[in-house]
Amino acid sequence: MPSNKELSAALDIEGSVPIHSVQLDAMVVLKIVKHCRESIPATVTGQLMGLDVNGVLEVTHSFPMPKNNQDSEDDASNYQVQMMRCLREVNVDDNSVGWYQSTNMGNFMNQSLIEHQFEFQQALSKSVLIIHDVARSSMGNINLRALRLTPAFMKLYKEKKFTTEALTKAKLTFSNIFEELPITIRNTALLTALLYELETADESIEVSTSHLTTYKSTASAPANKSVLAPSFDVLDLSLDPYVAKNLENLMDTIDDHHQEQGNYAYWQRSVERENKKKAAYLLNRKTENARRTASGQAPLANEDVDAMFKIPAEPSRLDHLLISGQIDNYCKQINEFAGPTLGKLFAVGELQK
Amino acid sequence: MSRFFRAGESDSDESDSDYSDELTHSESEDHSDSDSDNSSSDDDDTAKKTGGRGRLFEGSMSDSDSEDDTVRVVRSAKDKRFEEIEQAVTSMINGQKINDWVSAQNEFDRANKGLQKAAGIIAQSGVPKFYIRAVADLEKSIQAALEKEKSSSKKMNASNAKALNSMKQKVKKNNRLYEKEIQDYEKDPENYVEEEVVEEKPKAKKAKKVVVADSEDDSDVEAADDGFTPVGAGGKSVEFNQENIYKKLKEVADARGKKNTNREDQVRILERLLVVANSPYQKIRVLLALTSAQFDFAIGASGYMSIPLWKNADKYLNSLLTLLEANPDYIIKEDVPEVEETDKDLVPQNGEPVYIQGSLVAFIDRLDDEFTKSLQNIDPHTTDYVDRLKDEVGLYSVIVRSQAYFTRIHLTDSISRTTMRRLEHLYFKPDIVIVAVENATAALLPASVARPHQDSSVLIHDLCVFLYKNATSLLRTRSMLCHIYHHALHNRFFVARDMLLMSHLQETIHQADVTTQILHNRAMVQLGLCAFREGMIKEAQTCLQDISGTGRVKELLAQGLSPQRYGAATPEQEKLERQRQLPFHMHINLELLECVYLTCSMLLEIPNMAQAGSNPDGRKKVISKPFRRMLDYNSRQVFSGPPENTRDHIMGAAKSLSNGEWQKSIELINAIKIWELMPEAMKIKEMLGHKIQEEGLRTYLFANASHYSSVGLDQLAKMFDLPLASVISIVSKMVWNEELSASIDQVSNVVVLHHVEPSKVQSLALAFAEKAAGFVEGNEKLLELKTPQQAERPKKGANANKEQATGKQQQQRTMGPRGGRAGRNQFNNGLGNSVRGGRK
Repeated sequence: MPSNKELSAALDIEGSVPIHSVQLDAMVVLKIVKHCRESIPATVTGQLMGLDVNGVLEVTHSFPMPKNNQDSEDDASNYQVQMMRCLREVNVDDNSVGWYQSTNMGNFMNQSLIEHQFEFQQALSKSVLIIHDVARSSMGNINLRALRLTPAFMKLYKEKKFTTEALTKAKLTFSNIFEELPITIRNTALLTALLYELETADESIEVSTSHLTTYKSTASAPANKSVLAPSFDVLDLSLDPYVAKNLENLMDTIDDHHQEQGNYAYWQRSVERENKKKAAYLLNRKTENARRTASGQAPLANEDVDAMFKIPAEPSRLDHLLISGQIDNYCKQINEFAGPTLGKLFAVGELQK
Repeated sequence: MSRFFRAGESDSDESDSDYSDELTHSESEDHSDSDSDNSSSDDDDTAKKTGGRGRLFEGSMSDSDSEDDTVRVVRSAKDKRFEEIEQAVTSMINGQKINDWVSAQNEFDRANKGLQKAAGIIAQSGVPKFYIRAVADLEKSIQAALEKEKSSSKKMNASNAKALNSMKQKVKKNNRLYEKEIQDYEKDPENYVEEEVVEEKPKAKKAKKVVVADSEDDSDVEAADDGFTPVGAGGKSVEFNQENIYKKLKEVADARGKKNTNREDQVRILERLLVVANSPYQKIRVLLALTSAQFDFAIGASGYMSIPLWKNADKYLNSLLTLLEANPDYIIKEDVPEVEETDKDLVPQNGEPVYIQGSLVAFIDRLDDEFTKSLQNIDPHTTDYVDRLKDEVGLYSVIVRSQAYFTRIHLTDSISRTTMRRLEHLYFKPDIVIVAVENATAALLPASVARPHQDSSVLIHDLCVFLYKNATSLLRTRSMLCHIYHHALHNRFFVARDMLLMSHLQETIHQADVTTQILHNRAMVQLGLCAFREGMIKEAQTCLQDISGTGRVKELLAQGLSPQRYGAATPEQEKLERQRQLPFHMHINLELLECVYLTCSMLLEIPNMAQAGSNPDGRKKVISKPFRRMLDYNSRQVFSGPPENTRDHIMGAAKSLSNGEWQKSIELINAIKIWELMPEAMKIKEMLGHKIQEEGLRTYLFANASHYSSVGLDQLAKMFDLPLASVISIVSKMVWNEELSASIDQVSNVVVLHHVEPSKVQSLALAFAEKAAGFVEGNEKLLELKTPQQAERPKKGANANKEQATGKQQQQRTMGPRGGRAGRNQFNNGLGNSVRGGRK
């Protein structure tokens, strides 16, 4: 890449172009998958490196972050800085463009993730969050999502004002906390070439062995034919665990939601109580004033009624928003799962006839 | 500091009590007589009657009781009291002149005390003026002394200063009472006291005159008092005769309700009048007055009319009714314009009836209420109670008689009221008693008025139907409840149940008054007992659930006060509750009730618990909480001895039933003694034995189904000693109700058990359906609560809708394929809807 620097400079100038899609290098994908799968069931995170070009965020490199980084925030950032320096030395992209996180069954809507992403997006307006769902990936298709916080949410989060009114004004609901970007996976030319070669290789393995010795040793195994053959994970018929897991999670979330409901109802009741008191006071005042004017006295001075009756502050709706989002997530997952599953079941039924 | 504090405190206490004393004194003038020793006992009566005037009179009389015989100084009570006060005041003034505040304080206290004693006198003649003068001066000189004290360098001694200070406080408080007088005094300090002296003499004279004039009047009363020669003080004899009968009646009527009226005398006068009266009109008038005079004796809610008085009232009422029956032209009505007080004897002319003002129905109500009250207050375990209860026949006959009378003169409202009274005397009684009462009444009354009903049910039916047609809604409700009670008492469960359901009483009973709610609860309980006698365990349990399940049975049935847990009830509430109590003979046996309830609960709960097994969701479905609690408590006991009371028996039976030992269970249930109180105890025991066998079979199947792949029907029949047909029917019922996943193989006569457990996803889906329903409910509640100034929340709505959709779908699925069960259960839901009466 000869004009890397120029390009970035040029891009910085017109930095207002919003990102509309994410392009992941195959290697990055593999690295993420590997990292996430190794550390199941713990949630792990890592850094993404790359550059945004004309609204497309190209992610060319990634590295995992060490675990339990919440104990020592400094260590983590030190590690990051050092890692970046090392990467620069070996001449890899060292421009941070976001981070990734593993998740299990789409269970990622929580305060810390939001906060993290918020900080990222504050510092780097074009950063992105890649969510890799390990459990769902194991069902056959790899599951990656590229997410960004919406500007409306960013604004509200900055102000830390999650009242009902603010939410309505910003037209913010659980479905537009995040915007999802389409992901494309790109292979380098070399890799594509290799793949092509592999595809044709099964007829004449010998031909390619001369320059691909490492490959030969593995590919020469009897099952070698299926190296790039389609995966049959998709046809897995153990469907119950997935649904069960989803339902369990869903129920937990609903319990959380129930608690939020309780909080909110409590607040509503207390507001109502205060309002009633206030109304009673005002009415009292009014009759008193009427009486006084009738008897020729000066009406009572207007006091600051609002100061006398303090209406309790509305509880933050953020939690509720996230929980709703989470419920939505689960519901979607079950929905998404249900369609193909039904198809599978019918297919199996037909086969068994 | 503390001493000062204490002094201040005690002084305020004292003056407070002074104040209250004064109040009570001025309130009850009469009692002040007893305070003063010099009022002779002979005069007591006169004094009472003539009130204030008498006291002056008495004061002018010679004081014969005085201890000091030699010096017979004639002094009026007033003079004597005032002299005391005056002395105290003089020495107080002396004290304050020489700056001796300690003695001044003492004298001041003495004066106040004297004032209190003389409160009765003061209330008439006002506060003595010299006192006012002294008090007003006192305040001034205290102020002066305090100022001097401040300015002067020489200090007073400590006790003196203290006395001065406390005096200041006291006087301030004291003077507030006499503010007006003090003002008067201050306007004209010179002439103030003289005025009084001048005033005094004519007043006394005048009073004397009044007394003389009065004595004539009084003599009448006195004459009645001794009952011998009706000779008044003036030597004039007083006669009761035809001429003055109306005058006397009017006098009595006017005196009624006045404070100083001697009620006994009034009654005596009336009794004499009754002897004199000879025309029916006169007699009716006198009897009316006499009856109400009887009732005047009983005042206060807690006390009750003494029995002889009640009997008198009963007697007079009876003779009044006899009179009215004999003279159909005289009619007593409530809304008759007051007749001009003429001395004429009203005689019906040209068939026009004579209307007399009065309310017979009020007398009947009062008589009945007093009867109930006396029963509430008499200890039910004494013979007094039984004796009292014997009077009921008389009361009942009066009621029947008046009912007949009202029917004759077409007073619909009064008819319904008396009919209701009659019904309330009958509805809870068994047939034999009703027939006996009816026969006794018929014997007491003339044949034209009452004829005995031989069939109690017909009687009750007639009474109720009359009330349904004619009475107000409250009476209709009450009569409906009585009718239901009566049906339930006679084991007509379905009739009673249909009446209850068709009247829709259960929906509105919450708004009814407490006594009606209590009646409703009684009817519910009786219905439950009826269902039990008929062997309908489930119905019995649901009927009794709301009453017996609460632990406030006593209160709900008004059969005794339940212990106050938090001491929450104020005395008024407690008093109200006491008034509501039912007399003992109407009580439903609570122990029997509990026994029935627990037995029903056992028969339902044990199979239910076996069915739930270890499944945590199933365990939540509790039929009877109290039963479970008792069972838990019982099973926690390390050693359990042989059963002693009813509860122990049932718990023991429940345990052996759940273990499949049905013989032992039956033995234990049959050993309960209280069944003997049930009619046809043997039959009930037999029924229970049968039920226990059946439930034992069910419990066994629930508990052990998982261990079998098939069970022989014959073996089951042998095990539980049931005929094969009924085993098959029970098992089929269980299969049909989806309680047991099994099928019957009729060829080889076995029950084949299927072991189908729901998969994890299925059970999760079920749980989720419940959760989602709760979720939707919560959202809806929130939306309802939404205060008006809140902005719209579209998100919430959308969310709720979505969830609702899924929730509904799920719920429909969980309903199960057979909707038939829901329909059957509705009845039970309808029934299990009892009311908590009690305090509100």
